[in-house]
Amino acid sequence: MAAIVTSGLTKRYGGGPPVHPPWIHPAPVVRALEDLSIEVREGEIFGFLGPNGAGKSTTIRLLLGYLHASGGSASVMGLDIARDSVEIRRRTGYLPGGIALYDTMSGEDLLDYLGELTGRPAARRAELCDRLEMSGSTLKRLVRDYSRGMRQKIGIIQALQHDPELAILDEPTEGLDPLMQRAFYTILEDLQKAGRTIFFSSHVLSEVERVCDRVAIVRRGRLVALEDVEALLARRKRNVEMRVDGPPPHLEGVAGVSAVAVAPDGRITCHLEGEVEPFLAALREVRVIDLTIEPAHLEEAFLELYHDEGDETDAAPEAVPA
Amino acid sequence: MNRALFVQTWRAQRLKILIVCVALAVWGALLPIVYGAFGQTFRDIIDSGIVPEQLTQFGGGDIFSLSGSISLGAIHPISLILNSVFAVGFATAAIAGERQRGTLEVLLARPISRRTAYVTLLLATLSFVAAGVAATLLGAVVGSAIAGVLDELAVERLPLVWLNGFLLFAAFGSIGLAASVSFDRLTPALGITAAIVVVMYFLEVLGTFWPDAEPLQPYSLFHYYQPKQILEGEAPLLNFALPAIVAAIGVVWSLVEFPRRDLAAPA
Repeated sequence: MAAIVTSGLTKRYGGGPPVHPPWIHPAPVVRALEDLSIEVREGEIFGFLGPNGAGKSTTIRLLLGYLHASGGSASVMGLDIARDSVEIRRRTGYLPGGIALYDTMSGEDLLDYLGELTGRPAARRAELCDRLEMSGSTLKRLVRDYSRGMRQKIGIIQALQHDPELAILDEPTEGLDPLMQRAFYTILEDLQKAGRTIFFSSHVLSEVERVCDRVAIVRRGRLVALEDVEALLARRKRNVEMRVDGPPPHLEGVAGVSAVAVAPDGRITCHLEGEVEPFLAALREVRVIDLTIEPAHLEEAFLELYHDEGDETDAAPEAVPA
Repeated sequence: MNRALFVQTWRAQRLKILIVCVALAVWGALLPIVYGAFGQTFRDIIDSGIVPEQLTQFGGGDIFSLSGSISLGAIHPISLILNSVFAVGFATAAIAGERQRGTLEVLLARPISRRTAYVTLLLATLSFVAAGVAATLLGAVVGSAIAGVLDELAVERLPLVWLNGFLLFAAFGSIGLAASVSFDRLTPALGITAAIVVVMYFLEVLGTFWPDAEPLQPYSLFHYYQPKQILEGEAPLLNFALPAIVAAIGVVWSLVEFPRRDLAAPA
């Protein structure tokens, strides 16, 4: 059974009633999500990618019953999102993006309280606290005294402490330092080994590449890609920047190299796609002083891969309903 | 109702409820003491004609009888403000405030339906209001005993006075919660509820001091809060039914509106 199935899931805001007095001007229709059809398999880590306002949070909020769909349908663990929202949330762990916590409670009290509300034993709490380095003394402090990273850790623990069958995590590594990010990735891997499903929303491509099996990419409320991470990686262009001693190398026509440019200060930049060997071979004729190959930024990747997908005018970023 | 949410709500508000209840009890005790000490003196002053008769009445209360002084204490702005801490302040913040802070996200990520969350917060509001009104009356009893006028107090009618006050502030609490479930931010919910309470209070007070404005008083819920009338043996059903109906309308609105509305991501 699939963990999540959406079929033509659509969310529109605004519009107003079909009949209204002439002095009332209904808000324009905003299409936050349009005809989304995806399937998340049980036991996989599924990345849900997109820039801010692409429709990621709208999708999550539809799945968890915060929003009501304007069209289409969806099920989570076989349960209908419109009818069985409470049961879905009983079996799901959710980390909202930019989580807000009750500041006047201690970390421990907050986790106890949220655990009690969930109604399931906090079987994984001790392990999660240990791996995310939330000591007993830290948990006894008030949440208002926590740093952003510590709040995020509490957010992760509250989402996973009851060992949910499905974890929906919205920008989970925001605010975590690199060490804690690593610890978090290993937690996800262990959850996957235990058969849990992770729905992982992020706009950080490198993070999704690292932990996810498959990704869906949304832009302006529409699904623009749904594929294995490996396939996505193969299509990804990397940014290259270098300095050479002498005239620039001849990179035009080299397989996988595009957008070659030489700046007035001598910096040479280009995009590199696929195999790296032809590019390195082209550099053998010059003396390279400095060379940086970095992953493309998400937005650049979108522009390169999907710039001609969809109609720019018929979809819009998530909006708050009027 | 969700027990964990109810208990946590009480736990989070316990210091505030303690302070408000103590303040209401002190205030409730004060006016019977004033009546015991100066009631006859005030009566003599009024009888002399120096002060117009209209200024001796305020919202159905006065200072010339124990029941009147208890009524005056109950309808006085100080009592109104203290009771509104929960009937208006807590009620409007219960959903809209949590929504604005973003903590409603975390709460509704649990297996709790919106209706259950609402009913729990409604019951919490009602329990706070009940405690506040009870504290006022407890203070009145203590104050009457201190002033040595307890024998003038119809103690057996105090539960009806409590019910009358409870229903009034329950109605405001219900309106506050209805506003709270309808808005994403605290300010409009609080503003609308506070405006309703203030306008109703103004209508009642205006009618008290200005006979031409008396026809406006029935439009105010405060007009149906009459502790003196009850303590003196009268208890018109309308004084209980009308606030109860208003409270029920607020509850029905909330139970319909809250589950059907979209909760977009907090700003």
